[in-house]
Amino acid sequence: MSFAADFPKDSAFNKAKARYFATPTDAVVSALFAAFAVWILWSLANWALLHAVFGANQRDACMATEGACWSVVSTRWRIVLFGLYPFEEQWRSAIACVVMVVVAALSCVPWFWSARRLPPLWIAGFAIFYVLMRGGWFGLREVTEQNWGGLSLTIFIFAAVSLLGMPLAIVFALLRRSDLPWIARTMALVIDVIRSLPLLSIMFTFAIVMPFVLPDWAIGDKLYRVIVGYALFFACYQAEIIRGGMQALPAGQEEAAKALGLTYWHRIGYIVLPQAFRNALPPTINQFVITFKETSLVTIIGFFDVMASGRAASGNADWNFATIEMYVFVALIFFVFVFTLSRYGAYLERRLGVGRR
Amino acid sequence: MKLALKALLVSTALVASSQVAHAQVAGDSRLKTVQDRGKLLCSGHNGSFLGFAEVDDQGNWKGVDIDLCKALAAGLFGKSEGALEIVPISWAQRWPALQSGDIDAVIKVSGWTQSRDTELNLAYSQPYFIGAFQVMSHASLGAQTLADLDGGSICVAAGTSTERALATYLETKAIQAEVLTFENGDELRNAYYEARCDGMVEWAPSLAASRVDAPDGADAHTILPDVLDLEAEGIIVPENDADWLDVQNWMLSSLWFAEANGITSANVDEIKANPPSATIEKFLGVTPGYGERLGLSDDWAYNMIKEVGNMAEIYDRNLGSGSRYNLPRGINALYSDGGVFYPLIVD
Repeated sequence: MSFAADFPKDSAFNKAKARYFATPTDAVVSALFAAFAVWILWSLANWALLHAVFGANQRDACMATEGACWSVVSTRWRIVLFGLYPFEEQWRSAIACVVMVVVAALSCVPWFWSARRLPPLWIAGFAIFYVLMRGGWFGLREVTEQNWGGLSLTIFIFAAVSLLGMPLAIVFALLRRSDLPWIARTMALVIDVIRSLPLLSIMFTFAIVMPFVLPDWAIGDKLYRVIVGYALFFACYQAEIIRGGMQALPAGQEEAAKALGLTYWHRIGYIVLPQAFRNALPPTINQFVITFKETSLVTIIGFFDVMASGRAASGNADWNFATIEMYVFVALIFFVFVFTLSRYGAYLERRLGVGRR
Repeated sequence: MKLALKALLVSTALVASSQVAHAQVAGDSRLKTVQDRGKLLCSGHNGSFLGFAEVDDQGNWKGVDIDLCKALAAGLFGKSEGALEIVPISWAQRWPALQSGDIDAVIKVSGWTQSRDTELNLAYSQPYFIGAFQVMSHASLGAQTLADLDGGSICVAAGTSTERALATYLETKAIQAEVLTFENGDELRNAYYEARCDGMVEWAPSLAASRVDAPDGADAHTILPDVLDLEAEGIIVPENDADWLDVQNWMLSSLWFAEANGITSANVDEIKANPPSATIEKFLGVTPGYGERLGLSDDWAYNMIKEVGNMAEIYDRNLGSGSRYNLPRGINALYSDGGVFYPLIVD
């Protein structure tokens, strides 16, 4: 005797019926929510698409319509992407930005994951970026760091912070686990102190207070000081994430490695770190996402990152009424990058089999 | 004992000599630094501030503050192109950036307050703009002054100096109006646009912007002439730098002097060729003295006027009738036009 025959056939209609309209109460609630969802989508489409103005320089049409004014984006998108970079030279900023994205994308490919391939790739990437953005060589006009801006600046800060911060985080995590108590305790103190300070105040200190304290030769440009400060902040958080990954390993593994006569560096490099990273992958991706989004804090020290550029783009006599549209556009840019990042994280998790042990 | 005495002497001498060296550095005017550098570093904005520092479609700065930076650079170096760098800075960054030398002067709609003047070691030039708190009202109500809103309602941002100013003004003028407060600027504007109140109080340039952006058009709103309170915006330089401060004051005075004497960017060449008076001759650098006393070239005022025009031109282009804001000049005009500003005497 088979029970299968008693159940209705598993069609989409039946499935939906079973899920959403099983009882009269279910049906009412489902219908209400469906109507609400349709209404929201409809008003959104009405605003964003049907009644929207898309063409460049159509302020008057914008003032007349009820819908969104995408004209502000099509007129002033270059400010969002390039900030205050000189108008005729913006192609350089565009190429530099693409180079950074390509390098970041390449280093996500497993083939590049080796000490012989990854560092040259990033050094080349940063060198091309710097030469293109800064100029002063090969007949390119010089553009100082304070005029960098927009998406290129955001990506540059993010890449530089991650690349400086990650090795630093590993060093911090290892020092914190040191067998010598004074090293471990000092490191713990440093990490906890930096973690207890707001990122904003760290950036402000590095950008503005440092020049009063440092000797002249060590000052450098504000941009690089901020990156160093931010990288330090990143490293302290990431160090704790890595330490968490390390502590999840059974102590027996390291002891077994010791018993086999492996040196410290072999134990760390072949046994501990690879597994620690695998354990710590989800929070690490999380940390990268947060870091990307918090780059917009550099606006407090006068940098034109994507966010500040967006505000400048809608903040003039002509377009001041269209701030919402500009924020939506900036949000879309952030979404593209952060969503890609989190999808890549999900791919890595599948590949490394995190959560499948 | 003898050794200790010797150490004490040596250290005293060291301290004394370091103080002398310090005094010399402080005596170096920022004016000299800027001239040696060949470039003026002026304050910009991290984003925009309507009418004072905005970014055009090509990413170039414009606005009242930016024009004053241009005037200063033109006065120092003949023209601003290549000699002016607008450094984007945030509000919080203004004072440290000035002290550390990231910028040479703060021209960033900054009000003259006692604590800034005394505790922060800053020196203010004479004000170049008076930021008035005014009331905007629906034109359909036909109000001419704030007194006409007696018995009505007025919207204001909560917990701000504008709220305090409104309360005081209503009390002293014995106007009975209901005051509605809102947490932020957007809420405030929307409440006013939706006619939940008859009038709205804000800083005049912001009011002008809200008027332009009104959904029912700018003509449906009037800015009433009553001034509830005001803030004087000046140019800020480090304290104890008289030479640099003099340049700021005389730059502003020159812009008003040009306006009072009808000298504009369009006719300055003509007037320089046929100066109507000995004073104007001197002012435009035909006869020596006007620039030299400040450590500048004698035709520095001419260079400024040539590039940005007089104060009226700067105002009209950025806030007044030549701009979208169309903000009447009011108290920001010359004394002869009913304002509070005046040029200093050129002798």
